[in-house]
Amino acid sequence: MLEFQGGSHPAFEQLFARYRGPLYGFFRRRLQGDQRAEDLTQETFVAVIRASARYEPRALVRTYLYSIAMNLLAAERRKQFRDSPPGELAPEPITNDAPDAALWIRQALERLDDSEREILMLREYEQLSYAEIAELMKLPVNTVRSRLFRSRMALKGHLEPEQRSAEATATRGVAESVKLTRAEGEAI
Amino acid sequence: MNKISHPIEPEELMAYLDGELAANRASATAAHLGECVECQGLVTSLRSVSQNLKAWKAERTESTIPPAIATALAENELVSRSVIPARQRPRRAFLGQRWPVVAWVGGVAAILLLAAVSVPNLLRSRITNSVLSKPTADVLVVAPEAPSAMPMNGRQVDRIEQFAKLQAAPPVSSSAPQSDRTTVGNNLPANGPMIIRTAQLSLITKEFDKARANLEGILKRHRGYVGELKAGGSTGSGRTLTATLRVPADQLDATLTEVKTLGRVESESQSGQDVTSQYVDLQARLSNARNTEQQLTDLLRNRTGKLSDVLEVEQELDRVRGEIEQMEAERKNMSNQVSYATLNATIAEDYKAQLQVVPPSTSTRLGNAAVEGYRTMADGIVSLALFLLSTGPSLLLWGVVLFLPARLVWKKVRRSFAS
Repeated sequence: MLEFQGGSHPAFEQLFARYRGPLYGFFRRRLQGDQRAEDLTQETFVAVIRASARYEPRALVRTYLYSIAMNLLAAERRKQFRDSPPGELAPEPITNDAPDAALWIRQALERLDDSEREILMLREYEQLSYAEIAELMKLPVNTVRSRLFRSRMALKGHLEPEQRSAEATATRGVAESVKLTRAEGEAI
Repeated sequence: MNKISHPIEPEELMAYLDGELAANRASATAAHLGECVECQGLVTSLRSVSQNLKAWKAERTESTIPPAIATALAENELVSRSVIPARQRPRRAFLGQRWPVVAWVGGVAAILLLAAVSVPNLLRSRITNSVLSKPTADVLVVAPEAPSAMPMNGRQVDRIEQFAKLQAAPPVSSSAPQSDRTTVGNNLPANGPMIIRTAQLSLITKEFDKARANLEGILKRHRGYVGELKAGGSTGSGRTLTATLRVPADQLDATLTEVKTLGRVESESQSGQDVTSQYVDLQARLSNARNTEQQLTDLLRNRTGKLSDVLEVEQELDRVRGEIEQMEAERKNMSNQVSYATLNATIAEDYKAQLQVVPPSTSTRLGNAAVEGYRTMADGIVSLALFLLSTGPSLLLWGVVLFLPARLVWKKVRRSFAS
C-alpha cells in the first residue's frame, strides 16, 4: 500500500489481485445480486485510490480495505432500506456455487443475531483475526471471542438439529467442570 | 465427567483452533486435548461448523482491472502530477465524494451571508434616496420658471444639472456656487486660523480652601467663568475639586500660570483643534442658504402662478430658513469655542491621615459586621436572581435542545461499558 501511495502501479495491481476475490465474496454474501457486489468491490478500490494520499499505515491493509468495504456496505443497506417499501424485506443473497449448500448455510446464518453473524462471517469467510474484527466492529477482543463462540455454537445447533441437545449438554458439562475446577483451585 | 480434567475453557479451545491463543495457554490446551475426549468432541464440532460454512463459496478469481478502477487510477495520477499545490490535495481528498454537498452548503451559506449584509444597506440607501429626493423634486418644480442665473446651493445645482442632462434640457449655469465661494472666501477671519484651545491641569495642594478661593479670584481677573465645578470628599479625608473653566483664548496662558501657583502640579497638557476649514465651510453653506432664501422670497413675491406652485415654494422657503437657523447656531457655538478656551482643572488636597486614638467600640464593630453581613447576603440573593433571570431562558433552551443527544450518548457509553 505504501508503494502504491508512492506511485507504484504494479503495487496496486498486486493489491487488486490479492483482495479483489475476497472483497467480492464479502459483498456477495451480504447483498443481493452479483452485479451490485461487483460494483461495490470496484467502489472499494476506487475509494482506496482516492484516499491513497492520506493513507497512514496504522493497521493492516486488509483491515483498512474491509473497513472501507463495511462503510460501503452500511451505506448500501441504508439505501436499500430507504428505497424498499415498508414491510418488504430484501431478498436473500443467492450464489451460483453449490446452491443447495448455500441455501442451507444461509438459512442457518439468518437465524443468528446480526452482530454475531457478522463476527462469524468475518472470521470464517474473510479470515480476519479477533483483533481485526474487534477493530472493525468497535468491540473489545474478549467480546468478539465470546460472541464468536456463541454464534458457532448456535450455528452448530441450527446445522445439526438432531444433535443439538446432545452437543449443548456436552458444552454445558465442559463449561461447568471448568467453573468447578477454578473454584476448587481458589479454595486450595 | 471429571471436573479436574477440564482446565481449559471452551472459548479457549475455539481460540486455540483459530490460532488466537497465547503460546503458554496453547501448549496447555494441546496437552489437555490429547487426554480429554469431551474437549476433542467440542473441537470436532467447531471444525465441522467451519467446514460446513466453507460450502458457501462466493469468491471470484479473475484479476483484470475494470475500466472504472483504471480511470480512477489515471485521475489519481493526474492529480498527483498536476500543478495544484500539495497542501490543497489533502483537502480535496478530505472532501472526497462529499464535495458537491459541501459546495451546496457553502453556496447557500454565502448567499445568506450576502443577503444579510446587502439587504440592510439596500434599505438604508433607499431610505436615504427617498429623503434626499424630496427637496430635489421641490426645486425641479420651481426651476424651469426661475431665472437661469438664479443662485442656488451646490447640491441643488448638481441635481438640476443631472436632471437636465437626462432630459436634454438647456444646461443650468453653475457659476453661482463659484461666486458664492468667492464671497465666502472674503469672510475668512482676519486674525489667522481658528483654533479651539483646551488645557488640562492637575494640582495637589495642602491648603484646599485657600486654593479654591484663589481660583475664583484668578477667574475674575482674566474675565473667565466657571463652566462646571464639582467638589467632593469629607473634611476627615482628602478632598477633590474638579472644575471646567472658560477663559478668553488670549488669557489662557496667563490663567494657567496663575493657577499653577495654587499647588504642586501633578500633570499638565494642552491641545488645539484647528476648525478654520469647518468654519469656512459653514460660512459658505450659510451664505448659499441665505442667497437661496432671498431668491425664493423674490420668487414668492413676484409669482402669479398656480396655488400649488406657490405652496411648494413656501415649503422650500421654510426648509431653507430652518437650515439657516441651524447653521447660524452652529457658527455661534464654534465662535464661542474659539474665543473662549477650556481649562479642565483638578485640585486635590494633600491629606495626611490623623492617628485615631480611640478605636471604635466592640458593639459598634459587631453592629457594623452584622449590617455588612446582611448587605452581603441581600446582594448575593439579588445577584443570583439576576443571573437566573438573565441566563435562565438560554439555559432552559439549551437544556431542551441538548437533552436528547446527551441521553443518546449516555446510553451508548453505558452500553459500551456494560459490554
